[in-house]
Amino acid sequence: MSEDTLGSTPPPPPTPPEPPVRPPTPVTRKWHGPSLVWLVPIVALAVGVALLIRAVLSTGPQVTIDFHSASGLRPGKTEVRYKEVVVGRVEAVTLSEKRDHVQVTVRLDRSVSNIAVEDTRFWVVRPRIDTAGVSGIETLFSGAYIGVDAGESTKQKRHFTGLENPPFVLRGEPGRGFVLRTEDLGSLDVGSPILYKRNRVGRVVGYNLDPLIDELSVQIFIEAPYDKLVNSQTRFWNASGVEVSLNSSGLKVDTQTLASVISGGISFERPQGTQGLPPASDGSRFKLFSDRKSALAPPDGPPLRVRMVFDQSVRGLDIDAPVDFLGIEIGVIRAIRLDYDGKRKRFPVEVEAEIYPTRLGAVRDSMRQDGDDDKRRDTTLLQRLVQNGLRAQARTGNLLTGQMYVALDFPGKVQKAELDTSTAIPAIPTVPGTLADVQPQIAEIVAKVNKVPFDEIGRNLNETLAQANQAISQLRPEAQASLAEVRRTLQSVQETLQRADRSLLDPSAPIQRNAEQTLQDLQRAAQSLRVLTDYLQRHPESLLRGKPDDAKIPASPERR
Amino acid sequence: MSDAAVHTGSQMKLYGCPTCGRVSQLLRPPAGDAPLLCPRCATPLHHRRPRSLQRTWAYLIAASILYIPANLLPIMSTSNVFEGETLHTILGGIEELRHGGDWMLALIVFIASIAVPLLKIGALLVLAITAQRRSRWKQVERAQLYRMIEAVGHWSMLDVFVVVLLVGTIRFGALGGVMPEPGLLAFGAVVVLTMLAAGSFDPRLIWPEEEDKDRPS
Ligand SMILES: [Zn+2]
Repeated sequence: MSEDTLGSTPPPPPTPPEPPVRPPTPVTRKWHGPSLVWLVPIVALAVGVALLIRAVLSTGPQVTIDFHSASGLRPGKTEVRYKEVVVGRVEAVTLSEKRDHVQVTVRLDRSVSNIAVEDTRFWVVRPRIDTAGVSGIETLFSGAYIGVDAGESTKQKRHFTGLENPPFVLRGEPGRGFVLRTEDLGSLDVGSPILYKRNRVGRVVGYNLDPLIDELSVQIFIEAPYDKLVNSQTRFWNASGVEVSLNSSGLKVDTQTLASVISGGISFERPQGTQGLPPASDGSRFKLFSDRKSALAPPDGPPLRVRMVFDQSVRGLDIDAPVDFLGIEIGVIRAIRLDYDGKRKRFPVEVEAEIYPTRLGAVRDSMRQDGDDDKRRDTTLLQRLVQNGLRAQARTGNLLTGQMYVALDFPGKVQKAELDTSTAIPAIPTVPGTLADVQPQIAEIVAKVNKVPFDEIGRNLNETLAQANQAISQLRPEAQASLAEVRRTLQSVQETLQRADRSLLDPSAPIQRNAEQTLQDLQRAAQSLRVLTDYLQRHPESLLRGKPDDAKIPASPERR
Repeated sequence: MSDAAVHTGSQMKLYGCPTCGRVSQLLRPPAGDAPLLCPRCATPLHHRRPRSLQRTWAYLIAASILYIPANLLPIMSTSNVFEGETLHTILGGIEELRHGGDWMLALIVFIASIAVPLLKIGALLVLAITAQRRSRWKQVERAQLYRMIEAVGHWSMLDVFVVVLLVGTIRFGALGGVMPEPGLLAFGAVVVLTMLAAGSFDPRLIWPEEEDKDRPS
């Protein structure tokens, strides 16, 4: 195409070309071997190999772990943590051939390559509100991670079966583990704190339900040196949430730490006089009480079942209602049944209760006779009390709600009676309820209520309402004014927003200008880079040799 | 066209100065190794760029070596509080884009970051091998290929610029950020080295002359 304009034969040079001039002093080259440019691939090879070696060295061994479920595990994201330090990452999650479990492929860091030994354990820690510490805020959002407990074996292993629950105790961690039995987990979870005098001294490491005895086992770990605080008499209770108790001494709100309110927690205490006992052994089992009060109550011992047959209505008497002995709660109602007495043509109510004779304390100790069997001794004790005039009586505990309780008392003039031991459960004789006692009180109350000047109150109320009305009507202009104020505020908010809009979108806005300027700067930078590359294209050797010195003025200039 | 009819500068012992454009003719054969200098501006004069093929080979081999870590190693890492640190390789990024449904973007990144450097290395290999063997095969097409490589050279730095921009702009302290990784260094070096290789290749070697025998590189 260029053939037409550029002939293949060269036109005669416009001016007779002059011979190139040789400098008077020939430049001697210092380097005669292969060109220095061959250093470039050698350096590249060195750099490339170094980079690859570094990458290979920093990746540790790959292990596979079997889990039942991959819930929360994400390839490339889920971390493997040892003592809360990230030591690896999940690379792949695949289903096993039989599809009965998942296989998680984990790449461990080089630094912990010796962690993959025979007795190392892996487990999944699912997301939860982690209040293990103030730093727990970030784990609030972090997904599930795989926990690892380093083994001590020296035998390498690459395939593991993951634990479904975190291990009971981490290896090498000073402290002791215990098991708490409970019927209700409440808000407890793995990681919930164990508190002693509101200090965090341990944590819940796991829990499992035993379907046979329908009970939960909560595994806890108490860190050294606090594990020495746990002895055979230590009482644990669930410190989750806020405990509100309303009694004759007033309203009492008891909270453990704020953390335990959110995530649950367990507190423990040593009852008075048990501080000197030796620490409990590792793995000891304890009962987890529902609150501090029941935890620290003296132990009840085995209950004694008793019956009471009432001839009157027991409306207001519920299961779990208390059984009182001279004002001391010694038992609870367990069952209420309707019976039919064919002889008397009546419908007596049979109430069954459990009483704890140990709660009688000194009474029991002094009145009990010797015997071979605890239950029999308690029955005879009850028999002697009945002979002395002890009777059961359904009483109204709360006049407002009509709730009743059963009182065991000595009413005084009563017919002689005996403890009925004809059935397996002894029956305590009863006396009619206390409604008769209540009636005069009610009458008194009614009289007092009558004295209340309802008419007057009504009139006063009317007046007050009228005044209030007036006051409101006086307020009205001001209310309108404040409404207008609100409207103005809203308007100015709107204006502000519009201004913000303008200042962001207007081409002359500073943000826009700055962005434009930045882009221009970037363009300039690209231009200079281009200049650099152009220069490098022409003088590639300058990369190695640097920019050559300015050309020396030749000894013989053009026009000699 | 037949080469016999072509007169070249080297046949006529004519030297064009690349700096000032002056044409000079060699009247006497030069003595020894002394370089020829332009009478007007003293620029060394050559018929071919000196050691052009040797340089091309050196840069090309270096680029091919670094192409491996550039694609195997992560070029950047992103970190945030939700997911911790994540490493990104070029291929991984393309796969992520493709998986996310951004076919077009994945294609663009693939072309700019994988295909173009690879094609450049391949094309330079073809040029260097044919020049080394003084081949007369498809000379015009090879010249076209050379011009294409020259033109496309600057655009492969896109990835490097993007990562550098991200590193500079995305800084949230403990909450997250973007950090360059060794793969970026290798990738940048590959692009620069292919540009250098293309720059040091003398396209006149596509038309070998008798004289070139004496100066093979
Ligand atoms: Zn010149």
